[in-house]
Amino acid sequence: MKEVTAIIRINKMNETKRALSDAGIYSFTARKVTGRGRGKMNTLLLKGAERGYEEAINQLGAGPKMFPKRMLTIVVPDLKVPVVVKAVIDVNKTGSPGDGKIFVTPLLNAARIRTMELGDKALDENGETAKTQTNEV
Amino acid sequence: MIMIRAIVRPEKVDEVLSALMYAGFPAVTKMDVYGRGKQRGVKIGEITYDELPKEMLLTVVPANEKDFVIETIMKSARTSAKGAFGDGKIFVSAVDEVYTVSSGQKEV
Repeated sequence: MKEVTAIIRINKMNETKRALSDAGIYSFTARKVTGRGRGKMNTLLLKGAERGYEEAINQLGAGPKMFPKRMLTIVVPDLKVPVVVKAVIDVNKTGSPGDGKIFVTPLLNAARIRTMELGDKALDENGETAKTQTNEV
Repeated sequence: MIMIRAIVRPEKVDEVLSALMYAGFPAVTKMDVYGRGKQRGVKIGEITYDELPKEMLLTVVPANEKDFVIETIMKSARTSAKGAFGDGKIFVSAVDEVYTVSSGQKEV
C-alpha cells in the first residue's frame, strides 16, 4: 500500500473532495499547513548571498512568505495510486506556480481500529464499508 | 527522492527556514504539532507538561542532497553548541514518486 501526500490550494478543497469520491476514493485526512515552494525564489539574491553581500543575506533570511495550504493524506492500495494522482492533478492544475506537489511514499502496514483488520483489508477502497457509506450519503 | 520531516522548537523555525533558503532548498511545508519525547515532557514543580508545542517541517529533496540538508537543519535547530533536550528529531523516509501539479509532470 502507498501513502499519497498531496499539498494543494485551499480553495480547491471542495472540488478535490468531489473528484476523489467520484474516482472511488472515500477516505483521506486533511490538515492545515503553511509552506513555500521554489517558485518565488530570487536567483539574483541567492547569487549575491553566495558572494557574501550582507544585504542579500539579510533579505534571504526573511524568505518568501509561507502560504496557507491544505495537506491531504490518502492511503490506498498500490493499484489505485495512478487514479488518485490523476484525480488530484486534473482538478488542481491551473498551470501557475503554487498549485502544489504530490508525494507517493511506501507504507508498511495499516490497521482498522474498529475491527482490528490489518494490511490491505483495513483500507476502505477494498472493504464493504466504503460502499455502504456512500449509499447513505 | 527522500522525505525529511524535522520536529523543531517553534522559536527556532525562522532560523531553520532561512538556513534552508540560504542552502538552496526553499521548498518547505510547516505544520503545528504537539508532542513529548523520551524525557516524558517537562516537569516544573508539581506539574508535568507532556504536550509541548513544536513545529514540523516537511521537505522532499534529491537523495544525493540528503546528508547536506539534514546537517543544515541540525546546525540551525540546535539551541547551543552542545544541544539541549527538546531540540527535536529528524525523520527520513523514502519517496517513490513526486508530481508537480502545475505542470502535471512526474519529477525525477
